[in-house]
Amino acid sequence: MAITRRQFIKQSAGVASVGMFLPRVWLGESQAQTPMGAANRKMVVIQLIGGNDGLNTVIPYTNSRYYSLRPSLAFKQSELKDDMDRSMLISSDLALNPAMKEIKELYDEGKVAIINGVGYSQPSLSHFLSMDVWHTANLAGAGGIGWLGKYADAALIEKDGISAASIGGSLPKSLFASKSVIPSIQDFSLYNFITDPGHPEDYQNQLDAFTAASSRSFEPGAFRSAINMTAMDAVQGAQQLQAAVASYSSRVAYPENNPLAAALKMAAQILITMPEAALLYVMLGSFDTHSDQIDHRSGQPNRLAGQHSSLIKWLSQAVKAFYEDLNQHGLADDVLIMEWSEFGRRPEENASLGTDHGTANSMFVIGNPVRGGLYGEAPSLNALDLDSAGNVKFTVDFRSVYATILDRWLQGDSQSILGEKFENIGFLG
Amino acid sequence: MASISFDDAAHLLRRMGFGGSPDELDQLAAFGSREAAVDHLLNYDRIDDSALDNLTAQKFQINDPPLDNTKFNPQELRRLWFTRMILTKRQFQEKITLFWHNHFATAISKVNQEVLMQVQNNTLRANALARFDDLLLKVAQDPAMLIWLDTLQNVRGNTNENWARELQELFTMGIKDVVTGETNYSQTDITEIARAFTGWNFTRPPASDPFNYTFRFNTNSHDNGLKTIYSGTASAVTSNLDGKDVIPIICNRPATARFLVKKFFDFFVYPLDFTTKQDRNTADALAAVYLSHDHSIKEFARAIFTSDEFWSDRARYALIKTPPEFVVGPIRMFGATYNPGGPTAQRDNSIFQRSALLGMDCYDPPDVSGWDLNSAWVNTASMLDRYNVANTLATTRTQNPTTQQGAFITIDQLRKYTKASTKKTVKGFISVLNVSTDKPTINSLRQYLDADTPFDPSTDTVIDQKVRGLVHLIMCLPEFQLS
Repeated sequence: MAITRRQFIKQSAGVASVGMFLPRVWLGESQAQTPMGAANRKMVVIQLIGGNDGLNTVIPYTNSRYYSLRPSLAFKQSELKDDMDRSMLISSDLALNPAMKEIKELYDEGKVAIINGVGYSQPSLSHFLSMDVWHTANLAGAGGIGWLGKYADAALIEKDGISAASIGGSLPKSLFASKSVIPSIQDFSLYNFITDPGHPEDYQNQLDAFTAASSRSFEPGAFRSAINMTAMDAVQGAQQLQAAVASYSSRVAYPENNPLAAALKMAAQILITMPEAALLYVMLGSFDTHSDQIDHRSGQPNRLAGQHSSLIKWLSQAVKAFYEDLNQHGLADDVLIMEWSEFGRRPEENASLGTDHGTANSMFVIGNPVRGGLYGEAPSLNALDLDSAGNVKFTVDFRSVYATILDRWLQGDSQSILGEKFENIGFLG
Repeated sequence: MASISFDDAAHLLRRMGFGGSPDELDQLAAFGSREAAVDHLLNYDRIDDSALDNLTAQKFQINDPPLDNTKFNPQELRRLWFTRMILTKRQFQEKITLFWHNHFATAISKVNQEVLMQVQNNTLRANALARFDDLLLKVAQDPAMLIWLDTLQNVRGNTNENWARELQELFTMGIKDVVTGETNYSQTDITEIARAFTGWNFTRPPASDPFNYTFRFNTNSHDNGLKTIYSGTASAVTSNLDGKDVIPIICNRPATARFLVKKFFDFFVYPLDFTTKQDRNTADALAAVYLSHDHSIKEFARAIFTSDEFWSDRARYALIKTPPEFVVGPIRMFGATYNPGGPTAQRDNSIFQRSALLGMDCYDPPDVSGWDLNSAWVNTASMLDRYNVANTLATTRTQNPTTQQGAFITIDQLRKYTKASTKKTVKGFISVLNVSTDKPTINSLRQYLDADTPFDPSTDTVIDQKVRGLVHLIMCLPEFQLS
């Protein structure tokens, strides 16, 4: 896997999840029980694609093994401060990457929970399989339905309007649902049904013909059925979205040339102008740093610049701007941010100033609802504790993070969504 | 020999190409049998494409501006390829090159040297129907791939696993056998194979010959030790392996043959469901063709396109069009009126940009697994984008289609299929655009033509408005999204 500017995510090729195509009318009476979910409790998911280097995100700066495994990549203690000379240390043995000063500020305010050692047993080192594991909350990566899609089917399906959305040109598997059509929105201005600009008087005629053709029903499971459902949701949603986001205004300046900031700004516009919006999903790519993860243009390794530093800075600056925007619009108490990546990277650096695929990683959960601090246990880097590929062993099952959020924030039913019961990690009380 | 109808020819050309005009489909049907039509498309090197070659020689100067011999204009690479897709008479050549680009997905965003993307594209085109071993070796030794998956950094004593992993996971056999579900390789196989590929590098050409990159083997950085791969399997080997030795071992594994069947079916036939015995048998039967024909991609492709599966009802309209198919297809179906502009001014960049908007920016796949196909194209953003791209094609007008750059559906083309009645008009355009739909939809399209004022096709102003609207609406049908 390698670098990409566009934030796409993997979906299973070929066979579509059959459930994805069930028409909405099939919901019927079986959905009559009280839906899960709670008013004013919203979540934004940030997926870092490619495998974020957790050890250079949450840095074990007192661990001699960290330094011996990473002679070029390891941050020296003296480097662990931001560009205003403020310390990046968050505990007696952990520090944040110096490019994360905004997240450090939120951490100091008690708004960031960092869960260390998150992974699963017999981890896959394949991007694609490991992403599927996380998306589906199924350790075989099977099933084809996403954990958030299941939540949306249970909790959001009865809501009118856009209750869940992905920002980007494709839908992440986390949001694959059995019953819900969850929109993906790449660009507000293009999210519209446009007809011949030379004949605006014909718009309604075209829309009528389009609507008639899209109101047919097809055999469930067939591609044309999925297309049809999506088409109608797209056109109807587009009309609502156009009306809503036009009313957005903000005093927050999002950073320029930061694709995650652009996506989170769109998420903010939706959250702020569409009260029913409860679940937003954004992605940032290019974390697959097999080579040149730090800068070395001067001939010397410079850990404070380069690929990973730039990406982490994008993350930090984007999250801060987004948080401020929500705060100014009175929504900061309502929104939880969850960050994840399909795996961390190998403790030992490779010869290319990069790192190969790893396993367990740190996760960030951010927002006013969070009980800030450190959770889980940072995995041991001792040789005997590493697996045969030289990777760390997980200490926290990622599904317990999902369960904590589902049960303690989204008021969902984690057991029915995840298939089993997982412990509460405690970052939401 | 099975006879071939007009609809069969349309099905075949949508899959082995991007679609064709009614005249082109008639010509293909005139081959008399499915086998002969497939043979004609497969043996594309016998088809005269000199008109395209002359045009591209005239209208393209991809190393302009010549900053240095690595920095070509990235837009020009894309303009060139899409021009080929629209105008080539060798449709299968471009289609299978697109398939291999998706299979060996390599992105300019990391390779960062446009010339290398063109070199790789040339390699894929030149070897598209060779033995799979030969294609894979050529791709592996091509500079774009050596950069893309970090083989250049893979040296003795300090392996980089990127290439060794994706070689197996994405390019040849997958993590698990698609039919048996057995695990195909271990982490040890990845590290051992990475050792085998140490020391692979390339030599840059002189500025006077910018495409002529050559592979270079650095003995000094190659790990000469023994490597053991696939131990405990029928492919087990312990030897002082080089990458060149590994490729034939991988290409001869039955798991690779079955994986290739899956990849070809996803792109050219229909998505296989390996939970069914029928589809497992299909995979086994075609995998056997690959293995018994010396891994010839050409014979493998012939077996697929002449198979009962390919011609079955199940295969008809069973794939969702990729963005290039959606963008290029209708232009070809209307008879391919296209002027790419150029060489230095008035270049038409609209076509590849439409494909990029729909999610497939050629030369810049999202990651090494390429673009996901079929249901992955179905989401609200991409559907709206398709409708709007269709609107742009249907409603972009020109007075001078031969001199103005861009793709246009001309008033002449529209007039050709416009008939006196709304029924015949709707049916005519549905046929041109290769759509099969139902009566209620035909009726609502007829109502559209009659809306506000009764349809009067005797005037060009009506054709220019309502028939363009009709073309847009047909391209918005769920049926048109399917190939």
